[in-house]
Parts: sequence; structure tokens; C-alpha cells
Amino acid sequence: MSPSQQPTSTNPSSLKNQFAHRFIRALKTLNHTKTGAAHDHNQMYRRSIRVKIASYTAMASVVGSRRAWSRAVLWKIIKRSRNQGLLLRKRKRRNPNPKREDFNPFRNSGQELKLRKLVPGAETMDSWCLMGETADYIKCLVAQVEVMKTLVDLYSIT
Amino acid sequence: MEKDGFFNNEGNWNSIFGMGMGMEMESQVSELNWDNPMDQSDPFESALSSIVSSPVNSHPGIPNSGGENVVLKELVGRLGIICNSGEISPQSCIGKNNSTNTSCYNTPLNSPPKIHGNSIPRNHQLPPALFPADPGFVERAARLSCFGMKESAFKTAEFPIAIPASDKKLDDSMEESSLSEQISNGETGIKGQITYSNDRKRKAIPKGKGKESQSSTLSAKVNKTVGGPEKEVSDAKRSKLDEERNGIGKEKEEGNQKQTKENAKPEPPKDYIHVRARRGQATDSHSLAERVRREKISERMKFLQDLVPGCNKVTGKAVMLDEIITYVQSLQKQVEFLSMKLATINPRTDMNMEAVLSKDTQASMLNTMNHLDALAQPFYATAHDGPGNPLTAMMHCGPNMKSSQIDGFGEASLFWGNDLQSVVQTGFSQNQGPSFHGTMGTGQMKVEL
Repeated sequence: MSPSQQPTSTNPSSLKNQFAHRFIRALKTLNHTKTGAAHDHNQMYRRSIRVKIASYTAMASVVGSRRAWSRAVLWKIIKRSRNQGLLLRKRKRRNPNPKREDFNPFRNSGQELKLRKLVPGAETMDSWCLMGETADYIKCLVAQVEVMKTLVDLYSIT
Repeated sequence: MEKDGFFNNEGNWNSIFGMGMGMEMESQVSELNWDNPMDQSDPFESALSSIVSSPVNSHPGIPNSGGENVVLKELVGRLGIICNSGEISPQSCIGKNNSTNTSCYNTPLNSPPKIHGNSIPRNHQLPPALFPADPGFVERAARLSCFGMKESAFKTAEFPIAIPASDKKLDDSMEESSLSEQISNGETGIKGQITYSNDRKRKAIPKGKGKESQSSTLSAKVNKTVGGPEKEVSDAKRSKLDEERNGIGKEKEEGNQKQTKENAKPEPPKDYIHVRARRGQATDSHSLAERVRREKISERMKFLQDLVPGCNKVTGKAVMLDEIITYVQSLQKQVEFLSMKLATINPRTDMNMEAVLSKDTQASMLNTMNHLDALAQPFYATAHDGPGNPLTAMMHCGPNMKSSQIDGFGEASLFWGNDLQSVVQTGFSQNQGPSFHGTMGTGQMKVEL
């Protein structure tokens, strides 16, 4: 297995393309809904939160339901929008495929716990799946950051 | 309170979403349609399948019938040969358990000379009447082309583990090892290997020897003959389960299921991982499973090492995990920072959306770089900062982007001020700068109050 070989379906450039498309569409709707240029810091901060959520949602939807983390992100978004701002209970989803041979005694302790908290949807996974999800998540995060940097550059010029 | 849980910003992905954002998010989500691509390929699985397919195609002696079923067909064919050539009362073997295996002892001796004479039948569906043993044999036939977890198969020789026979399970273990031996012997016979090894193995079996001798002989012979990992005969996991669950009844169920699966479609990756205990290592089923698990995880850690920059020299799981955690946190902070930038910049330029979009898509494709070259011009005029700008490494967009573009972005980081610089530079190494905490902290505190 050569880790440098690029996977065919989640090609980074196509990932960036699709993410850019969706993110810009989301930004457009954001701009149209909130027309008043908010110089108030609070509103600016809220707006930045919305942009952030839009970027994560866009990336998760590009990846689709292939990955557990994207499913977790999208599920959370949908739930939140349904509840309309009510506080949600932190619900742990049960692992649908509990593997028999999960002998890891260090599962809920130490660094793996931190990683599980960082990667969405990774709390009820076994270690091996966690690694795979982390790899995919990192790849998508890198693509996301790159596209956003490009966008910031382009916006700051034009 | 749950608010604390939500706003615990250090290392919780839930904190990404902040407060409830209402209807806007739902509209955005509905816009962003679910993307369900058909291919499920994964870096690991695609790499694994490519590795698997290459030895399959290069397998000698068997005419390549093409397609994905070639391995399954040929192995099934071979088993059909064994069964067909073993004309020592196959009919009487049906339905019996222990007695069948003793009679089947003799078949491997007869099978090699007869195989050369016979044409290899292509049996897609194994007629159950010809099988000398219970469907456990069929199950082993199904396992011959198991494609699950090939990396463990590469490291170990894929042949049966003769379980150290416990007293009450002596018959089971002998029967399993004998049947597995048959399969292996049949295959080596097809390749033209001589039966001397068969005799040695079969003499070792009734003594209920530990697997060391067998493993050494088998691995010595097999590693030369068995060209590829496509044949996995071992039943390690299944045999362990049998020891736990009192064997043969379970075998039958699995055999039936496996047979139906095998007839239905090409082998999907199974749950079981066929391992062979290496020489001089513990043969306990638990330790074997542990080793397989550890190997899998270490494979993925290597993959992650390539993803995370600056982790080539790091060895060890703990340090690697630290690096990964730091990197993911830094990436998430970068996204947050960039979204803040976009939120401030955006209201001024909302008329150029389509133009920006088209420019952006062209930027990431190989076709035209003219627009962006024009855009990147103003960057060249500014003074270039220190060479070791990690942003250039960060902005490596593959072969699509020209190096000039990357340099332009590298200088763009200077425009963004110290905040982003500190973010980017510290994104690769250790802690984050105090200025960064200052800017983000105040913003966050406003929300919490």
C-alpha cells in the first residue's frame, strides 16, 4: 500500500472544486439574507460563526454519507435547525456494528479520547475506524482551509 | 450545564457549531444536496484491491478466465477436482462427521496424479453431494479466496494453524487440520510438489503436535509454491470460535451461509481475519487477534504520518497521536479564523460571486491561470519574507498550481497580519501564540456572556 497514491473518488482537487462550489453558494445566501453590513462586533461574530458552519456543512455534504464524520456533522446541523435554537442533548449514537474483537483497554482514556472529541462522530468507534476517519477528516480539513484561503485572497483583491 | 459542555472550546468538535443558528442552516443544508457517489473506494481498500488483483492475475498454471471470479473459480475448481478424484466412497462421507475425515485422509495422495489428467472443471456451484465432509469444507473453500485484510496475509503465510489439541477437542482439531491440510496438499499437488511433504505433515497430525513443526514445514514449502496471497486456507478465527462455541454445529451454520454467499456473488470481505501465528510467537487466539489489531492500527498510523506534516521522524503511537491531535486542532482553528476573515470581507464583494466562483474553479484546474496570474501580480511587488514560510507548504495544491501562485499566497499571508501568521506557523508545531488567544478569546467571551 502506498500512502502517497491518491484515492480516486476523493481526489483532492475535485474535493476542493466541489467544496468551493457549495461554500460559495452558501456564502451567497448568507449575504443575501443578512444584508445590513454589521459593524457591530457581536453581529460580526455571529456572522463568522455562520460562515464557519457553512464551510463545515459544505465539506460534509461533499463527502456525503460515505464517512461517519460527515454524517455526524450533517445530522447535527439538521437536528439543530429543527430544534431552532433549543438546547440539544448530547446524544451518543450507539455503534451499529460493534466488533467482537475490540480488545482495546485504552479506549476512553488519554489521547484517543481527545482525538475522539475532535473528530466528529468518532466517539463510538473502535480504534482502527477512528484512525481511518481521522485520516479522511484531516484530508478534508486541509482542502477546506486551502479553499478558504484562496477565497479570502480573491475577495481581498476584488 | 450543557452549555458548558457545548462551549468547551478546547478539543470538542461540537463547539464548532456554537449556538443554535436557526433556519438559515437548514436552508443551507437543503441547498447542499446529499452527495452519494457510487464508488465506495477508500485509500486503504483501493490500495488493497490493487495489490490483491495483481497477484491474482499473475497466478501461474491456471488459465486466466478474467473477471473477478477467477480466483474463486479456480480454487473451487481445484476443490472439485479433489472431491471428484477422491472416489473413495464420497457418497458415504455425506452426513457423517468424524468418519468422513478419516476416509478423506487418503484423497490427497490420490489427487495429485489424477489432477494432471483431468481438466480443471469450473464449478461455480459446488454440488453438495460430492463433498466428502460437511459444509465446513465448503466454508473452507469459500475462505480460500477471502479478500479481507490482505496486509496481515502478506506478512504471514496463509496456511492453517494447527491448534494445539486440547483433550476434549482432539477430534475437532485433528479433523480441521486434516481438512485444511487436504486443501493445502491438493494445491501443492497441483503445482507439482511432491507428496513427501504430505506424508510428513500427515504423520505429524495424529500426534497432535504443536504447530511449530507444521508451520515450519508448511511455511518452507508453501512460501515457494504459493505465489500469491489469494488463497487463504487458514481457519484460525473460525477454529477459535469453534473452541469457544463447541464446534461442529456452528460450522454447519456458517458453512451454509458461506455457501449461499459464495454462490451469490464474488467474495465480499469477511469479518474474519485469517492469521497465521508466526514462528516463535504466542498462539493464543486472543494474542493473535491483538496482534492483528495492532498491525492494522499501525498501518493506519503510517498513513496518518504522511498526512500530518513533519511527522516523519516520529515513532510511537503516543507521540504520533499527540501530533495528530495538535494538527487537527490547528486546522480547526484555521477554519475558524478564515471564516471570520470571510465574514468581514464578504459584505463588500457580494456582487462578484459568479466571477469569483469561475475564477476559483479555473484556478484549481489545469486549464487557465491567466486570471489568477493577473491577480497575483500585486503580490510580487512586495518584499518577500523569510524563506521558511510554512504557508508555502500549506498551499501546496498539487501539480495544478504554479509555483508563482504559491509564492503569491505566501506573501499574502503577510497582508493578513500577525494573527494569521502566528496561526499558520504554529499550526505545524507546538502551542499557539498569545496574540491568537487574545483575538479569539475576546470574541468568544462575548458570546458566552
